[in-house]
Amino acid sequence: MVTELSCAPDLGKARAFIERNGLSFEEVWDDLVGIHEGDEVVAVGARAGNILKMLVVEPSRQNGTLLGELVTELVARGFTAGYDTLFVYTKPEYVVSFECLNFSLLANHERAALLEYGGGLERWLTSCLPLLRPGLNGAVVMNCNPFTLGHRHLVETAARQVDNLYLFVVREERSHFPFAVRFRLVKEGVRDIRNVILLDTSDYVVSSATFPSYFLKRDDPISRIQMELDLTLFAHRIAPFFRISQRFIGTEPCCSMTHSYNETMKRLLPHYGIGVVEVARKESADGVISASRVRDFLKSDDFASLEGHVPGTTLAYLRSVEAGPILEKLRKGE
Amino acid sequence: MKIVKKVQAGTMQSSDLMVFVEPFDELSVEIESTVKKQFEHLIRAKLDAVLAAHGVTAGKIRVTDRGALDYAIEARLETALKRAGEE
Repeated sequence: MVTELSCAPDLGKARAFIERNGLSFEEVWDDLVGIHEGDEVVAVGARAGNILKMLVVEPSRQNGTLLGELVTELVARGFTAGYDTLFVYTKPEYVVSFECLNFSLLANHERAALLEYGGGLERWLTSCLPLLRPGLNGAVVMNCNPFTLGHRHLVETAARQVDNLYLFVVREERSHFPFAVRFRLVKEGVRDIRNVILLDTSDYVVSSATFPSYFLKRDDPISRIQMELDLTLFAHRIAPFFRISQRFIGTEPCCSMTHSYNETMKRLLPHYGIGVVEVARKESADGVISASRVRDFLKSDDFASLEGHVPGTTLAYLRSVEAGPILEKLRKGE
Repeated sequence: MKIVKKVQAGTMQSSDLMVFVEPFDELSVEIESTVKKQFEHLIRAKLDAVLAAHGVTAGKIRVTDRGALDYAIEARLETALKRAGEE
């Protein structure tokens, strides 16, 4: 029987079990469940948001039904919590075990695979059908936290080189400015460029499912694997659907994480027939334009410096009453 | 009957299915199955028959099936519908 693990002795056993089987125990979860036999733990699994993790089944018991029992419980709990689609990272040799449970493979890598349960990718792509356009298509993926003249320059430059430019705004709520605000500022900021098709990334590009370490700004071997999975998913499933043959990026002199994401893109995407076009970052009179510098100006209430960095539409928002609580949080360093 | 709640029934075990039901403005039935290629039409026919028998005209129904037989499909969907209709 699957039970919730919450008391200290159960947690201690779960931790030892997970670590003995070569995974690391992570303190953050919404549900942690396990299966006992007598006093022994024989299977453990957790859910954090829409991610299933720390799934371990006792090696001698892996031919039975334990994984199905665990995942049933976690999926049911996830559904109750509002997640129709759940993701799992696993080793490539376990892909088939998850496919038997109706998970579908999103991206495979020599050291890790990403699968989802619930058919979210298909549903998202189907909902994008009305946006499809024929011709030479490019893509830009941007977080825009918030939208700057640098973003504007990249979009303008890219839009001139293609028939249609799909502009994906990162949907994940892990930034200072909430998605709704970021999206609106992009929309207002590119309104006059007629061949831009604006959409969001759903859970499938630079999200906490495909590339969680992006938001932790941690450039380590795990994040390398994640960025390769993220880009493989883009190249395999997303670009062909939208018939995207060019992905545009801005040069990245500051953030090492974004820099290695860009480098990985240049290495991987051409294998799938997708060109990567790097556009030199725009500079203002006082140096490069970046959203992080814009946030620094906001932290120090330096509205005068902002003008060369953000378009009028973003500036108007930053000066509005609505932006107040967000700027307050920024100043407090939250 | 009217679907008023978001509910789930069934398991992921072999020969069983998971059924997810939630309120929706039209009737939508999505099927995922390890034997989809061979049996999707039969699974759909069974689901449609059970939905019709319960007079369900709106709702989002999602099933993920692992080769369940007819009576299992009927039982799981019926359980989910009864849960979904409870006030």
